[in-house]
Amino acid sequence: MPDIANTTTNPPVASKSSQMWKRLRRLPITLYIGGTLVSLFVLVALGSFIWTPYPANKLNLTNRLAPPGTPGFLLGTDRAGRDVVTELMLGARNSLYVSVVSTIVAMLVGATIGLSIAGSKRFLQGPLTRLVDAGLALPGILTALVLAAKIGAGNTTATLAIIIWQIPIAARVTIGPARQILALDYVEAAYSYGRRKSYVLRRHVLPNISPLLIVLSSIMFAAAILIEAALAFLSVGVQPPTSSWGRFLNETQSLLEAAPYLMFFPGVAIVLTALGFNLLGDGLRTVLDPQQARSGLA
Amino acid sequence: MFKHTLRSLLTLAFTALLGSIVVFVLLRQLGGDIVTVFLGREAAPIDVSYMRERLGLDSSLIVQYLDWLRGILSGDLGQSYGMGYDIFDEIVRRLGPTLMLTVGGLIVSVPLSLVLGTYSAINAKKVRSSFVDIFTQVGIAIPAFWAGLLLVLVFAVRLGWLPTGGYVPFTEDPVQAMRHAILPVCALSLGVTSVFTRYVRTAMIDVMNEDFMRSAMARGRTRRGAALVHGVRNASIPLVTVAALQFGQLIAGAVVVENVFVLPGIGRLIVTATLGREVVVVQSLALVIMFIILILNFFVDIAYGFLDPRIRDKESSNA
Repeated sequence: MPDIANTTTNPPVASKSSQMWKRLRRLPITLYIGGTLVSLFVLVALGSFIWTPYPANKLNLTNRLAPPGTPGFLLGTDRAGRDVVTELMLGARNSLYVSVVSTIVAMLVGATIGLSIAGSKRFLQGPLTRLVDAGLALPGILTALVLAAKIGAGNTTATLAIIIWQIPIAARVTIGPARQILALDYVEAAYSYGRRKSYVLRRHVLPNISPLLIVLSSIMFAAAILIEAALAFLSVGVQPPTSSWGRFLNETQSLLEAAPYLMFFPGVAIVLTALGFNLLGDGLRTVLDPQQARSGLA
Repeated sequence: MFKHTLRSLLTLAFTALLGSIVVFVLLRQLGGDIVTVFLGREAAPIDVSYMRERLGLDSSLIVQYLDWLRGILSGDLGQSYGMGYDIFDEIVRRLGPTLMLTVGGLIVSVPLSLVLGTYSAINAKKVRSSFVDIFTQVGIAIPAFWAGLLLVLVFAVRLGWLPTGGYVPFTEDPVQAMRHAILPVCALSLGVTSVFTRYVRTAMIDVMNEDFMRSAMARGRTRRGAALVHGVRNASIPLVTVAALQFGQLIAGAVVVENVFVLPGIGRLIVTATLGREVVVVQSLALVIMFIILILNFFVDIAYGFLDPRIRDKESSNA
């Protein structure tokens, strides 16, 4: 069926594309900067599976601590003669892996908990929310250290710790908005024709708060990348020979005088990636959830 | 007010109890038998049973838990098996650098973020506020340890103005103590200030739209004057909660920064113990830090009720 509204005011083809252009230009700049940085990060991380300048952990013992710009080594080499570009690409891979796994799992579990609390009996909501608040107050690094002491340092420890740390965050952010939606008339209507609470939560509440969850995921990605780097820096996260930006920084700490430029690259990589995800989250919020953005939720 | 305090106290007791149970179960049940860890797999059965008895592992779990809890409440956190120190004494001994870092971080970041956030909120529609936004976005994205390394590189290695690390107690040599504190506190404050600033900005923008702000301006206050006199005070109420939540992040930051600047604080202790697989030390420390955070939250809850009567009114009307 032809769209009547569209046929009557059908604009010329040229202006149609210019209209789209206009709409694209109206999108917030943070979305573009964030999107670009994040795409770059994902491309580099996935690209490392196909191509890196040198194989992983290839030692060039004759070319140790080569400065940036050395022929064959764009950003130089580290203390063991590993190519810095290769190391950075592989580090991106590890960051991506940890942040994707932890964010997805934490989001699924956390949002489920949040929805259940919002839909639970009234007298349970207060105590349960406070419990989540208590979980919120605990720093992720602490969880990671306890886990690492118990099951040993490593990527799994780091990922698990980030998940445990982020679950209360996802739950806490879900509870409020879910409650608001549960108070709306159409939810009442759904109950009146016999829908059960679990159905209402899944089919009415979840779709309505999903923009919020998407925005939150982006910010959780950034946090996960920062924690992964911190744990690797403390030698509690990923272990050699897997490359990681945080571990790379740890190794450069003793080279501050001999090769100060080395600490620059992984740090910039971490900052740009975390910044990218945060900006993307900000931009997405403006687009997906204008009300929330206008009230300026930090 | 009484009701509000009681409610907060109950929450504190409940979460602390729950937390201690979680830590206890982790301590005892996961990751294999603790005796095997000490004596190795090939230990003689008689040694194992002696060790079990000495550690109190032969009594029931509930008795063990209560014993452990009684120990903690009387300041006995056990001993480090690798190094032999008493955990409680070690915490007391290492409190200095950590307090210096966290308190210093708060002293720097709270006033700074109030100024930056208010400035950004007053100028929200102007270009200059975006400088603050850029600062906070980048500040959140910079990991504290990298900020620390950069600061060391510039101010210690290159310029030689400040020491690269180490700790001098304030009571020993105030000047040297300050010199040693500057870089770590800056490294820690960057991220915390950025987060605070964003909250202040948000709270200020909300407050700026309140009716009482319009009344103040109608009575002849300038926009900026109204913001400074009425706005900051009202905006700081939500900031109190944020500060409590951020305290955990502050401690996490302290753990990392202490390791960059080789400060002999609690953060370094917990990382060293983790790498040495000293489970008992790590879990005792985690428990102590968790208690501190929960107690701080409790005080913030109380303060919140004092600052904003609407909170406790709302709660008692709900109850």
